[in-house]
Amino acid sequence: MNALRIAGLTVTRGAGPVIRDVDLTLEPGRITALVGPNGAGKTSLLEAVSGVVPAASGTVHIGADEITKQSRVARARRGLAHIEQGRAVFGGLTVLENLMLTARTRARADELFEAFPELEKRRDSPAALLSGGEQQMVVLARAFADRPSFLLIDEMSLGLAPVVFTRLLPMVTRFAEEGAAILLVEQFTHLALGVASDALVVSSGRVTYAGPAQGLLDSPGTLHAAYLGES
Amino acid sequence: MRLAERGIPFVVAIVAIAVGYGLSAGLDGYFVYLGMSAVVAGISLLGLGVVTGSAGMISLCQLTFGAVGAWTVSALNEAQAPGGFLTWLVLGGLAAGVVGVLVGLPALRLRGINLAVVTLGLAAAADLALVQLQFPGVSAGISVERPEAFSDDRSYFQLAVVVLVLCCLAVYFLRRGRWGSAWQAVAFSERGTAAAGTSVRTSKLTAFAVSATLGGISGGLLTGQVGIAFPASFTAIQSLALYVLAIMSGAHLIDMAVFGAVLWVGVPELLKRWGIPQDWGFVVFGVLGVQALASGGNLGTTVRQVWYRRSKKEPAKLDLAAKTADIESKAPGPPVLTVRGLSVSFGHVAALSSVDISVPEHGVLGVIGPNGAGKSTLVDAISGFLPNAEGAVELGGRPLTGSPSNRARAGLRRTFQQDRVPPGLTVGAYLKFLARRRLTADEIGDALDFFGCPAARTPLSQVDVGARRLVEVVGHLLARPRVLLLDEPAAGLPHEEHVAFGERLRQVPARFGVSVLLIEHDLDLVRSVCDTITVLDFGRVLASGPQAEVLADPAVLKAYMGETEML
Amino acid sequence: MLQGALAGLAAGGLYAVLAVCLTLMSRLVRVVNFAQSATGMFGCYVAVFLSVDLGLPMWLATVAGIVLGGLLSALLGWIVSTWLAEADTGTRSAVTVAVLLLLISLSFILFGNKPQPFHPILDGPAVTVGGVVISQVTVVTVALAVLVAVASRIVLSRTPAGVQLRALSERPTTAELLGIPAKRLSVAVWAVTGVVSTLVISIVAPSQSNDATSLAMLVVPAAAAALLGGFRRLDLAVAGGLGLGLIQGAAAQVDGLSVVRYFLPFAVIVALLLWSQRKEVWDAAR
Repeated sequence: MNALRIAGLTVTRGAGPVIRDVDLTLEPGRITALVGPNGAGKTSLLEAVSGVVPAASGTVHIGADEITKQSRVARARRGLAHIEQGRAVFGGLTVLENLMLTARTRARADELFEAFPELEKRRDSPAALLSGGEQQMVVLARAFADRPSFLLIDEMSLGLAPVVFTRLLPMVTRFAEEGAAILLVEQFTHLALGVASDALVVSSGRVTYAGPAQGLLDSPGTLHAAYLGES
Repeated sequence: MRLAERGIPFVVAIVAIAVGYGLSAGLDGYFVYLGMSAVVAGISLLGLGVVTGSAGMISLCQLTFGAVGAWTVSALNEAQAPGGFLTWLVLGGLAAGVVGVLVGLPALRLRGINLAVVTLGLAAAADLALVQLQFPGVSAGISVERPEAFSDDRSYFQLAVVVLVLCCLAVYFLRRGRWGSAWQAVAFSERGTAAAGTSVRTSKLTAFAVSATLGGISGGLLTGQVGIAFPASFTAIQSLALYVLAIMSGAHLIDMAVFGAVLWVGVPELLKRWGIPQDWGFVVFGVLGVQALASGGNLGTTVRQVWYRRSKKEPAKLDLAAKTADIESKAPGPPVLTVRGLSVSFGHVAALSSVDISVPEHGVLGVIGPNGAGKSTLVDAISGFLPNAEGAVELGGRPLTGSPSNRARAGLRRTFQQDRVPPGLTVGAYLKFLARRRLTADEIGDALDFFGCPAARTPLSQVDVGARRLVEVVGHLLARPRVLLLDEPAAGLPHEEHVAFGERLRQVPARFGVSVLLIEHDLDLVRSVCDTITVLDFGRVLASGPQAEVLADPAVLKAYMGETEML
Repeated sequence: MLQGALAGLAAGGLYAVLAVCLTLMSRLVRVVNFAQSATGMFGCYVAVFLSVDLGLPMWLATVAGIVLGGLLSALLGWIVSTWLAEADTGTRSAVTVAVLLLLISLSFILFGNKPQPFHPILDGPAVTVGGVVISQVTVVTVALAVLVAVASRIVLSRTPAGVQLRALSERPTTAELLGIPAKRLSVAVWAVTGVVSTLVISIVAPSQSNDATSLAMLVVPAAAAALLGGFRRLDLAVAGGLGLGLIQGAAAQVDGLSVVRYFLPFAVIVALLLWSQRKEVWDAAR
């Protein structure tokens, strides 16, 4: 299976760069935690990788193929899934319809309902009427449905009770075990570092730490310094 | 300096009138006729430029307003009303303006497309109706009387040029005043405009009314030229073509409106000389219009880019290095803003549940919490952007209700997390727009200096995003509200500047007499500025009280798990 | 009066079909298509040209015209999806205004200013109900309106493509990130509405004023009807179109009202907007 390689990626918004010169490789089966203060540019990085915004410079490769200039749809077709911030369900569609968008067959949808039993009960309910946790479950299930090779997850925990989030996190781990490469952006730093093998800290638009997640867990001083922009 | 700035438009005006005189005297009779048509179209385009400059507003009946102007002038002429042609011309413009307000009212509550549908409906209806009805005085063959001094074609052309120049001056000064700032603001962000205490609807209506008035004047002038008004001059197709031309040439720029008028007359002329059917002219406009919209530019911006050869200037940043003079701070008093039981839900997701907030007079209340805790929703609800929020908000003991612009005018101001500062204005113009009161140059200068912001003359498009949002804060402070809600004002600033910013924020209640509610992520900043803190988590208040107590509370630490090192 | 009203029902069916097209376009591809009836007009004129000037059999010419109308609309959709994918509804709709201008002028150049020699596809009465005659055209257009509305409903709720379209219209970016072929689906919507509007104009044009401007300006009463449904509801769009046709037909019987009749769609538009916008609504994106 291929790796996703990001080299020298810079994203600008309006007047100046939001995040610059990012080098990162996502290997299959490994979870990389991307942490940092608010406004550091984490979301912009994900958006540039998935094609929501164009990259000002730098490249993104899947295996040997460059995807930097490809459309969002083309990148999604290559197995790149981006879970956006804020529970991006289609409120007007039922839970089943949401899942069928990526599951495509009833059989696959049923498999997903087995993995997420709470959703089975709400399968014909419009997604707008679900609770926050249920909506995030729909988003995750929808992303898992066609077995993406690369999963970019932006603050899954946003607005969720911690107890709900801790139930969703093992699913991400299981997914990595099935071979996906995952980039996990999280504000609950410790929880993210707990499941990740690698970590990247971004502060004020620059990478201030890139290495094993254990390194940050072992030394809180390093994490603190990285947050403040000292590398 | 200011005098020269004030003087330049008048100098340009006088030069233009002189040029007009020269043309009227020197040109061949046929070209005077063409020039006359160009002037008439120019005034109409000027009007369209005002409306299209407010993005999303599409006006497809400009020539129908011309017909209203023509109708008024013909009717007054037939009735031999006192005042003479010039008075009738002005009245025709005003009549068109009134029609514009009536037509615009239903369509301007919701943005954009509805106005296009309404105006196209009016244009199509008027098209058919005008063919059946006749302009006043036509059946009796009464021709509109020109003013005595301008009765022959050349001098009438001169008069038309003067009218055009006066219209351009009027639009120029309107744009630099409150109305113009409101138009720019509405074009960029309706929420930002409402938060500034300006009614979005009124701003759009004034733009539409001005555009209709100019259309009416144009129609009246045309009637004076040809003597008898014909429906063929005011068809719906021509209104469409004029709109497309306005888009394509960038008619919101005054010089481009004149250039567009030259195209309006010049393209058909060229086609005639080359023996090509006239309809190709509109086909060309249509194609160029599509191209302009697809590429997101227009002739105006392209020409300006070539002309000014945009220098890659460094955007103006903040300069917070200077130490500020310390000022006697007042002790926080009784609550000036109280919120009780505030609840907001989006569908079944409860964004806020029974939140109580209290901002002390002359104090700074910090609101902190993890992402998604509902902090921005809180500000939206208090400032009136969420009409189905439940709970009670009181400002200075009185209930605070109504639309966001009402609440802003009542003394509650807020800033936005996203950039909602219109880039088309200068720093100074934007401050005056936000403050909604007369500001002396000194007041503006002092406030800008205090926060290290760029000078008042700097265009906002050349100001760095972080600095722009601070300018927004300064503007709201200058309005002297009772309470200011700040939504992550330091977000665009590098970490080093947070300390300096914090110092200044600390002095805001004493310096400006404003109480502050501050949402921030940087806990160092919060610690240095806020007397009391409220912690939100998952839409509920987790803890509330004096700073030291709250930040030591273990429940708060737990909620902030990821940022434990920060505390 | 009743006969007059029912005579207006043919136009009402036309308005209803066009209103359904406008509503679908507004919901699914975020455009108010001011060129909706103009593309139909153009397709019809080509059909007339093919049958009258080139001597093709009428059925073939009509089909060719309908196909062309669909292709023209698809081309416009392709331009909008490629270069204006991120633009707001206002800008996208402004492009259709430019195309409206373009098509009217182009038809003057290609086909002249005089009325086209249409041969009616359908002619004569269909049924007589209680002494009142209803023409074939009326029956077909009303039936077509109901059919298109119902078919759209079924496609959107039951087929995978329909679900994808609904997802795309609700959150375009998220839909694309899931691999939904946004551009292909959008162009398909443009093409289908293009075909439908050309079809209905082919049926009705021979029996009413069919110069380029009148046909192109059919978008105005269609928009009035679509406004009844808020550019979202298909059933109200059909009701609005039929209702407007009936009122116009009835008003045509009263002599003194002839000029007022021209302002009827405009008055309906104003009334609907006034009624529907009592609360201020915030543009969350700005």
